[in-house]
Amino acid sequence: MTPTVSASGLSLRYGGTRALDDVSLRLTPGVTGLLGPNGAGKTTLLRVLATALPADRGAFTVLGHDPGTARGRQEVRRRLGYLPQTPGFHPDFTAFEFVDYVAILKEMTDRGVRHREVRRVLDEVGLADVRGKRIRKLSGGMRQRVALGAALVGEPGFLVLDEPTVGLDPEQRMRFRELIAGAGEGRTVLLSTHQTEDVAMLCHRVIVMAAGRVRFEGTPAELTARAAGRVWSSTERDPGAKAGWRTGTGTFRNVGAPPPGAELLEPTLEDGYLLTLDDAGAEVAA
Amino acid sequence: MSWHVSEEDLRAYARGELEAPVLWSADAHLTSCARCRGALAEVSDPVVLDAGWDRLDAELDAPRTGLLERLLVRIGVAGHTARLLAATPVLRRSWLGAVVAVLLLSVGAGHAVRGGEFPTLFLALAPLLPLAGVALSYGPALDPTYEMTVVAPMHGFRLLMIRTVAVLGVVLGLNGLATLALPAYGLRGLAWLLPALALTATGLALTPRLGPVLAPSLVGGAWVGLLLTADVLRTGADVPLAPFTVAGQGVAAVVAALAAGLLFLLRDRFDLFQGRAV
Repeated sequence: MTPTVSASGLSLRYGGTRALDDVSLRLTPGVTGLLGPNGAGKTTLLRVLATALPADRGAFTVLGHDPGTARGRQEVRRRLGYLPQTPGFHPDFTAFEFVDYVAILKEMTDRGVRHREVRRVLDEVGLADVRGKRIRKLSGGMRQRVALGAALVGEPGFLVLDEPTVGLDPEQRMRFRELIAGAGEGRTVLLSTHQTEDVAMLCHRVIVMAAGRVRFEGTPAELTARAAGRVWSSTERDPGAKAGWRTGTGTFRNVGAPPPGAELLEPTLEDGYLLTLDDAGAEVAA
Repeated sequence: MSWHVSEEDLRAYARGELEAPVLWSADAHLTSCARCRGALAEVSDPVVLDAGWDRLDAELDAPRTGLLERLLVRIGVAGHTARLLAATPVLRRSWLGAVVAVLLLSVGAGHAVRGGEFPTLFLALAPLLPLAGVALSYGPALDPTYEMTVVAPMHGFRLLMIRTVAVLGVVLGLNGLATLALPAYGLRGLAWLLPALALTATGLALTPRLGPVLAPSLVGGAWVGLLLTADVLRTGADVPLAPFTVAGQGVAAVVAALAAGLLFLLRDRFDLFQGRAV
């Protein structure tokens, strides 16, 4: 499949920190998950791809446009929806007013067209009934949906979501996953998250970052397969394991290099993610 | 219900050609009469009727604009620009109240302390207000929607200028009113204007390099330092501080022009994120 977003050799230093180190990736329509620990460079990568930050080196294109030029950057922004990690709101605005404000920033100056679009996206995120409510009176989950609605204004071809499910309760998280899955139909979505469940449930591709570098790029099944034969059960915590914890059944689930004869378990995406990070740590240390 | 809207009137209503006062009667009647609404649907082009309901829904949903927005629209500002300005933090009542309080204080001091030919405290404070106002109108630390704003297709410099012009208009207007409250000083009471423009333009021009908090802070600090130095160097209590002399005003005009030119050259830098990257 032809990539809609393609990046090669993106690097960015910030002070003494190497925030991005030779990052290359290709995104196709559907939801791609971006996993990594805090400080891995996920938010920096999203800001670069969203054209908020210029990279020191490297290049990328979004839907055929090169944001390296002023004109190209504007073309990318016309096709971009961006939900930052901590979306801010003008506290006195209603949900409608806030999305209307973002629609104006997206060059919708015709009042009638703009208001129809605001109503459409608020319907899409399930907030039609509260569109007249002040944002400060909405719950955290509803605010996130307002911000997602704002990102969806103008039917962007590339949607960048930075940890949108953080702080949501399980029911809100499920609701948000439904919305992201819907948003991923026919458009390219890059979803940064700490939740491997988000990736398992939503994503057709996954990228793992650590210390500013891409450590894995593939399907969730391929990431899970990295842990095949490296997860085992024991009655005591195995000191040779990279990670191990007591499960609800009282036995220990261990991840790492199993001892001979160990009772192997079916790996999960999280096991594959942990081992990928562990491998990356070993590589960084070397 | 014995009275119903005639078919002829319903057809005119559907075409948008029914005139008051029959229109008002029809409006009121249709809201409570299902039979007439059904008849209206039968005589109307369904596409036109749906569009009409959509228009009505949109009008009902449309946000009720605040005082500032209504005022801006009334003086001729486009509706979408007024909405952008309504989101400018410093155009809110709390900040404007603080500006008025500072001006009242300095004007009061100008009346109470007639130690020279210049209202020095007022002239020292007035240039800082537009500098602070413009600095507080954008940036990651002060605009809650900054991150969404910076990746929007609208150029960041254009939004900055829209807000700057609005803030300058309001604050310089308030400063001007305060000047009128000091009639005894005549035109000397206007010696704040060129320094105000110089400080504001310099603060903005340094922002791409120093950031939206440090740049105006340094410029404000430099202004205070300049005034203190000028106070030490002046030869008598009746002598005006150097920035308020003719020569000082000329320097302020040159600085304002140079800073405005630099700001224009750096305009594309306002189209990118200005904050911590990581």
